[in-house]
Amino acid sequence: MNNNSNKMFFLFILFFSTLISISSNSWFGCWIGLEINLLSFIPLISNSKNLLSVETSLKYFLTQSLASINFLFMILIKFSLLKNFNMNNIISIMMNSSLLMKMGSAPFHFWFPNIVEGLSWMNNFMLMTWQKISPMILLSYYFNKNFLIFMIITNLIIGSLGGLNQTSLRKLLAFSSINNLGWMIFSIMISENLWLFYFLIYSMMISMMISLFFLMNMYFMNQLFINNMNFFIKLNLLINFLSLGGLPPFMGFMPKWIIINFLLINKFYFLTFIFMMTSLIIIYYYIRIIYSSFMFNYFKMKWVNLLMKNNMSLINLSSFISISSMILSTFIFM
Amino acid sequence: MCFNSFFFLFFFMLINFFFFVYFIMNGLSVFFEWEIISFNSMSIVMSILLDWMSLLFMMFVSLISSVVIFYSKSYMNSELNLNRFIILVLMFVFSMVLLIISPNLISILLGWDGLGLISYCLVIYYQNLKSYNAGMLTALSNRIGDVMILMIICWVMNYGSWNYIFYFDFMKNDYVMFIISFMIIIAAMTKSAQIPFSSWLPAAMAAPTPVSALVHSSTLVTAGVYLLIRFNYLLIDMFFFKVLLFLSILTMFMSGISANYEFDLKKIIALSTLSQLGLMMSILSLGFPDIAFFHLLTHAMFKALLFMCAGVIIHMMNDIQDIRYMGGLSLYIPLTSLCLNISNLSLCGIPFLSGFYSKDLILEMVSFNSFNLMVFILFYLSTGLTVFYTFRLIMYVMINDFNLMMIYNLYDEDYIMLNSMFVLLFMSLLSGSFLSWFIFSYPYMIYLPFNLKLMVIYVSILGSILGFMVSNMGIYSLNKLLLSYNLSSFLCLMWFMPNLSTYGLSYIYLNFSQILFKNIDMGWSEIYSGKGIFNILKNYSVFYNIYQMNNFKIYLFSFILWFMILFIFFFI
Repeated sequence: MNNNSNKMFFLFILFFSTLISISSNSWFGCWIGLEINLLSFIPLISNSKNLLSVETSLKYFLTQSLASINFLFMILIKFSLLKNFNMNNIISIMMNSSLLMKMGSAPFHFWFPNIVEGLSWMNNFMLMTWQKISPMILLSYYFNKNFLIFMIITNLIIGSLGGLNQTSLRKLLAFSSINNLGWMIFSIMISENLWLFYFLIYSMMISMMISLFFLMNMYFMNQLFINNMNFFIKLNLLINFLSLGGLPPFMGFMPKWIIINFLLINKFYFLTFIFMMTSLIIIYYYIRIIYSSFMFNYFKMKWVNLLMKNNMSLINLSSFISISSMILSTFIFM
Repeated sequence: MCFNSFFFLFFFMLINFFFFVYFIMNGLSVFFEWEIISFNSMSIVMSILLDWMSLLFMMFVSLISSVVIFYSKSYMNSELNLNRFIILVLMFVFSMVLLIISPNLISILLGWDGLGLISYCLVIYYQNLKSYNAGMLTALSNRIGDVMILMIICWVMNYGSWNYIFYFDFMKNDYVMFIISFMIIIAAMTKSAQIPFSSWLPAAMAAPTPVSALVHSSTLVTAGVYLLIRFNYLLIDMFFFKVLLFLSILTMFMSGISANYEFDLKKIIALSTLSQLGLMMSILSLGFPDIAFFHLLTHAMFKALLFMCAGVIIHMMNDIQDIRYMGGLSLYIPLTSLCLNISNLSLCGIPFLSGFYSKDLILEMVSFNSFNLMVFILFYLSTGLTVFYTFRLIMYVMINDFNLMMIYNLYDEDYIMLNSMFVLLFMSLLSGSFLSWFIFSYPYMIYLPFNLKLMVIYVSILGSILGFMVSNMGIYSLNKLLLSYNLSSFLCLMWFMPNLSTYGLSYIYLNFSQILFKNIDMGWSEIYSGKGIFNILKNYSVFYNIYQMNNFKIYLFSFILWFMILFIFFFI
């Protein structure tokens, strides 16, 4: 099924399913959207010529359908047994758990690095960004604060510690995605607008990274320096990684800054500490990937030349956006 | 480059001379003030004070520096980067002039720091190990004085501006002025190499001889004395002045003794400079600033001349500075030995040379005003010691037998060096009387008994006899130094002050910092923050990875288990 028009058809249904899910006024509609999401994503990722991608799509199907079944069941219990609508409840924990499993958030995240390892970069991009929209918005409709804060802490820690020992770039981005999920879930608890802001910036950064890796066809860390990247590609890589980690003048700092601001004003000191420390670990392993390309003494093999065919302008534009958008955004308020 | 700067500085000297005569005859004093920027309530102002003292000092500084630059054309003619040297000397002169004419502390700081920095550059000019060590000692000792002046700037901000001249009348008994006087005395002590900062002056003889002639005889080391003369009105009743008196007469005495044990020509002259500086500081702290200024100026003349003669001799002796190799030079280099003798005798205070006017006046003032016995004894003893080491030097260099080699060529006819020495010779003969007629509009009243008046002569004769006897060395002479080895080494090595300034300050701290570095930086802080935390995190990650790579069924089943647990909680 290498046909582009097929994929476009399923892609259209994928987008539509998310819209169904988040704009319905009944929990059934949400569940329907989630099911259609699952159904339309499977053809996108399965490729019958490649045994690994078949296995990946099977794993994806199993976990997501389990979560959807649970979600449906909890909806039905909630409708039938609980006539009132109170938040702090076992049912809310159960619904949140199933939604967390759909997203790939800890502690139900074990499928996520496995599956990410089996997909190509573009499918990964879909998995990491678009597939998170509907579970998160559904989470924001009915969440249990205490449970979610505990899950956030678990997310952060697993995202940072799991990525330390990885050499595959896809798994690395998967663990960073789990970490960023922690930030995003917390931002849901603050305000949905803030979640939207965080999510948009995160998906922009991930898209830049993934497009760069896709263009250079790099899946593992040892492939990073085999090809001779010219200076601008390396610069773009550096900036994107640092921005993803949340370093200040870059774009990725802005949403994290707002979240930390909220945390400190409302005296969530312990949580702030955990956010900070896990961010440090994440930045450590980002910098570990790219630093040797920027020291004066960098590793370079001379017999492979990377031919950047076209679209250098896109790379330059993306680095420019990453560097300057936080500062330029303050000009809006002047 | 040499000629240009020589003519410029000479012309500058003449201008200063004429203005000096005009100002002192008419009692004028001019204060320029230039407002650089004025913004709301803050204004930055640069001010220049020209009175007879600053003009006279500027005249002397420019005269000596012009002569030294002319001299260094021939002395340093084998130097590739002579332009660099001349530029450094010119910057030095500029900093000195800035120090002299400034009535406010910021420009004093600029001049002071410039002096310290450029003297460091000049001391390390020959880039060997000894020069580097000497330069470090010089720069760091001077740095203490810089720190003191910076702190004075801080404290003087209490009064609203940095023009200290205006505050002397009004603020004399204030606590702030007390602190300022303490700090200014320490700053002057570091620059003028009193005890305990006196180890840098003999070490700085690693500089080229023109530099020694300009810097270490007349300008850098007298900057401290000049500063105290400017601040004299403030300091005159303070307790610290008496401390300064004590330390400066000890400096005078100590350097006089140490010069007797020295065998390096430039070090002897350096120690004699130190002795005369102690003399200047002590007479200043006894309350006679104008006599101190007078001695400063005459000393500058003959000491610069002495250094230049030493430079000629060193060139002649194939760059050897040890006086044990020299001897009998008066027969071969008459003109240079003329200059050497006149400057040496002027240093001793032989009547009617320039040094006599200032030194004799100092000693008579000390005898006439009633000070305590120790002051009296040390003054006269130091005068005797001056004559002692001077005559010892003359005996070793001029009179005894020549000790260097069998075949020698003692060449005196370098007229560039000689002409520059003649200028200073002229001044060193006449400047005593000339300055005393200008500076003292009426002579001091001195009434002494006969023997006390002749005490100077007694002490000088005694010193000269001792100098003669000490330098009578033969093949079979007993080395009397080794008989009293401990006492001799104490007296010879400047009472161990260089060791205090170098080893004592660096050894303990370096040792301690090595212990700290090894145990903390490369020890415990690695295990508690650097590599240790990395190892912990890595172990967690490895453990997690083992946990992650698991059977898929187990994972799905665990999810179901979770829900079953929650169900049970729901239905309890």
